[in-house]
Amino acid sequence: MQAGNERVPSPTPALLGGLSVALLAVVIYSVYTSHQLATMRDLQERLVDRYRRASLQLLRIQDNLNELALAMRDMLDRNEPYPLAAWSAPLGRIRRDLDDALRSEAALDSSAPPDAGAQVTSSLAQFWSAFDRALEQSRPGGDAEREALRQIRDSLQPRRDAIASQIARRLVHNNEAGQRAAQQVAGIHARVQRNAYLFLAAMLALILFTGTLAIVFNRRLFHRITELSAQRSTLSRRLITAQEETLRSVSRELHDEFGQILTAIGLMARRTGRQAAARQDTELADGLAELQSVAQEALDKVRGLSQSLQPVILQESGLLATVGWYLPVVERQTGLDIHYTPPAHGFDLPAASAIHVFRVLQEALNNVVRHSGSPTAEVRIRRDAGHAILEVEDAGRGLPAAPSGSGVGLAGMRERARLIGGSLDLLSAPLGGTLVRLKLPLAAQPEPL
Amino acid sequence: MNAALSRRDLLALGLAPALASAAGPAFTLADATQAAGLGAFRHNTGAYGAKFLPETLGPGCAFLDYDNDGWLDILLMNGCDWPGHRRRRSTPALFRNNRDGTFTDVTRAAGLDLELYGMGVAVGDFDNDGFPDLFLSCVGQSRLLHNNGRGRFVDVTARAGLLGRESFSTSALWFDYDRDGLLDLFVCNYVQWSPARDIFCALDGRNKSYCTPEAYRGATCWLFRNRGNGTFEDVTARSGIFDPTSKSLGVALLDINGDGWPDLFVANDTRPNKLYVNQRDGRFEEQGLAYNVAFSEDGKARAGMGADAAWLDGSPYPSIAVTNFDNERIGFYQRTGSHRYEDTAVRSGIAGPSRTTLGFGCLFADLDLGGSPALIVANGHIDDTVRHIRRDVGHAQPPHLFVPSGAGSYRDIAPQAGPEFATPRVARGLAAGDFNRDGSLDLLFTTNGGPPALFRTAAAPGRHAIRFHLEGRRSNRDAIGAIVGLDDRGIVQTAMVRSGSSYLSQSERTVHFGAGRRDSIARVTVQWPSGRKDEFRNLATGRAYRCVEGESPRVLDRF
Repeated sequence: MQAGNERVPSPTPALLGGLSVALLAVVIYSVYTSHQLATMRDLQERLVDRYRRASLQLLRIQDNLNELALAMRDMLDRNEPYPLAAWSAPLGRIRRDLDDALRSEAALDSSAPPDAGAQVTSSLAQFWSAFDRALEQSRPGGDAEREALRQIRDSLQPRRDAIASQIARRLVHNNEAGQRAAQQVAGIHARVQRNAYLFLAAMLALILFTGTLAIVFNRRLFHRITELSAQRSTLSRRLITAQEETLRSVSRELHDEFGQILTAIGLMARRTGRQAAARQDTELADGLAELQSVAQEALDKVRGLSQSLQPVILQESGLLATVGWYLPVVERQTGLDIHYTPPAHGFDLPAASAIHVFRVLQEALNNVVRHSGSPTAEVRIRRDAGHAILEVEDAGRGLPAAPSGSGVGLAGMRERARLIGGSLDLLSAPLGGTLVRLKLPLAAQPEPL
Repeated sequence: MNAALSRRDLLALGLAPALASAAGPAFTLADATQAAGLGAFRHNTGAYGAKFLPETLGPGCAFLDYDNDGWLDILLMNGCDWPGHRRRRSTPALFRNNRDGTFTDVTRAAGLDLELYGMGVAVGDFDNDGFPDLFLSCVGQSRLLHNNGRGRFVDVTARAGLLGRESFSTSALWFDYDRDGLLDLFVCNYVQWSPARDIFCALDGRNKSYCTPEAYRGATCWLFRNRGNGTFEDVTARSGIFDPTSKSLGVALLDINGDGWPDLFVANDTRPNKLYVNQRDGRFEEQGLAYNVAFSEDGKARAGMGADAAWLDGSPYPSIAVTNFDNERIGFYQRTGSHRYEDTAVRSGIAGPSRTTLGFGCLFADLDLGGSPALIVANGHIDDTVRHIRRDVGHAQPPHLFVPSGAGSYRDIAPQAGPEFATPRVARGLAAGDFNRDGSLDLLFTTNGGPPALFRTAAAPGRHAIRFHLEGRRSNRDAIGAIVGLDDRGIVQTAMVRSGSSYLSQSERTVHFGAGRRDSIARVTVQWPSGRKDEFRNLATGRAYRCVEGESPRVLDRF
């Protein structure tokens, strides 16, 4: 029993430790990832989105400058019947939108050199100032109009072109800065992605380690449980075998010793009774006859008890004959109406197994009488594909919804079934009641202990 | 008036649109074109293979009462053969209402037997003599025609000072922008095109096709101020309207800020729409961007064609509908905040059906007399080979008839309005007017190169209209720009006496409201262009009223 005293260490601390490490790793990684994402979001908002918005504003400025170019072209074409001053309204719209776009772009604080915005603003201010002067001084059809048109052609158009070039350069610069910021974001993204993979790998390793640990502990536990089960089985077999030995011994003792004594008492009483009759001692002869009768009755009871404890017939004639003998006895003793269906073809079981089958039958019928309330019982023994099957079926109240009581009898039946390599099922009978089925292989019956 | 709301009132309060849309239209649309005698008219595009840009864009139409007999007559615009390719004579056509559902062609007698490449028409009594005059927008020289009151129009283009102003003119409208009691003229111009300036465009590099407007320079709209002596002053530049980048096709009159001064919304093709807000000093300030009506929701300048504005769902501010190219969807701008509009076409269910249609004429009209105007759209592509490029888009297209279905949503019930109405057409112009005086708004479509289509509307029995024929005294006699408001137990409706709107077309001048099953309207107000405000109480529905500025309304014998 050394194994029974061996203490198996609990895996719980190790598993809890692994879980704690995993949780800690998740927390650390979450904090790290949040920080990285916040950095990335900040970078994206601060730089990439800003560059994108700045580019949109620069495109808007470019669009306005193009509108301005078209307006100046139309002014120089002079194909409208309106004075140059009529262009004030559309130019005013362009100017307002241009100023708004420049303000919006400046507010974004893009990558442009600090003085770039000021340069454009200054250039535009000079441009509009010159434009306003030209329009104010223009008079339809006169020299002033021609001078204004000359200013537009020779001065304002080149200035517009120069401003457009500045904007185009800033757009290119802005786009390049945007690309650099996008690359930065991509770098952070790649780093976060790489760290995510590392974290996943670490977590996987941790899970593998914890899992392996759990498997090792499980295997140990399973092995231990198997050992304990085997020990328990051995003990049970020994216990049952010892019980059977004791019963057999008691039975033999009752049959051989007490039977002989009672037989001798009977013979002696009969002989002495004859002698008393020869001596005309009627009173003594009657007493001895009564003694002989009591001795015979005691002998019958002892023999019956002996058969019950360990049917000799089981040793001598086998299981089927024993069942054939036993069932009428039960019917007589209990009043139970038993219908027995023997196997179509006989088969043998070793005595060591047969006693267990017989004990299961006894316990099953005992349960029918005590618990089922059924007046009848079916007992069937058959052979089926290398197995011997014993079925005891009643027509009683059936299995309880929830098992009650200690169930020692049922446990004993299961233990006996296991001892002989079989199985025991407790089923609901098709027509109600309970069906006890013992199934055991005919081959490889265990040797008696 | 009973203060308690009856079931009838509840229906009028809002259940009616949802129930009506669920059960189908609460009105019928019957094709009256042939019966009316309009079936013989054919629009002449002048096309002979040169693929000139104007060929795909006309014509417009108008409901007007040119002889002042109280019955609406019909004017159909027409193109003509191009110089050097004369095959037949074609003129606009004026049809006089015979008061029995039929019309008589009086074009020649009315002096409209004019060969011109007509596009649109604006009807307005510019000299306040009580008879409607005409401005015919044309490719080339547009015409101003004075109604002499004896059934004849006289060309006063030269006398009015408009001769020599040649352009590719499209929609036009009359309005009194300076509130001096005289109607001024606003004219949309499309692009700088003439046969001599035509550009060769080809899809396959060999065969000429119709150019897109990007190929041409834009053209400024014109504003002509009525001097009151039969002449007009070009105030385009002074008023701030001048903008040669525009490519304008449609214009709608509205009061965007509720200040009582008329503003203008101009639909531009491939250019931002323009919103000219009246500065009350003879100038306009363009605020399309500020009001967020210049572009689509994704910031794109769409191919704006026609436009209309109407006060919807009791809002104190008008909503604007703009028809666009296929795949661009109709723009449906509604006020969502201070000085801020939002294109709600997607949310309202208008965008979906209009994805595969190219819209031109559009107008809001209360066809079922339920109190909530529907949006009717005339559709038709400009490219007769479009089916080869896009399988789901045809040259001829069915119209849209968007009816309110509750909670600001609309449902296109054109297919349920009858097979005649839903017939695909290459439609352009669209006007509304009650030509048979039954109290329901009838619809007139024109088609490019085809016949017109006149639909007689009949609302469900038991629904009433209430209509107002306004006549200004201090205001312009047509009362264009007057705003009529209905207020009855919390239900508010507003409409403006308008010129222009839709596309190249002119609807009746009469202000029309659907009153549902209400027997009367508790309060009616008229905000005249002069600034005067008249108020009338408890007017019975199912009637038409003649309202003269400063006088009590007079019930007319019929609508």
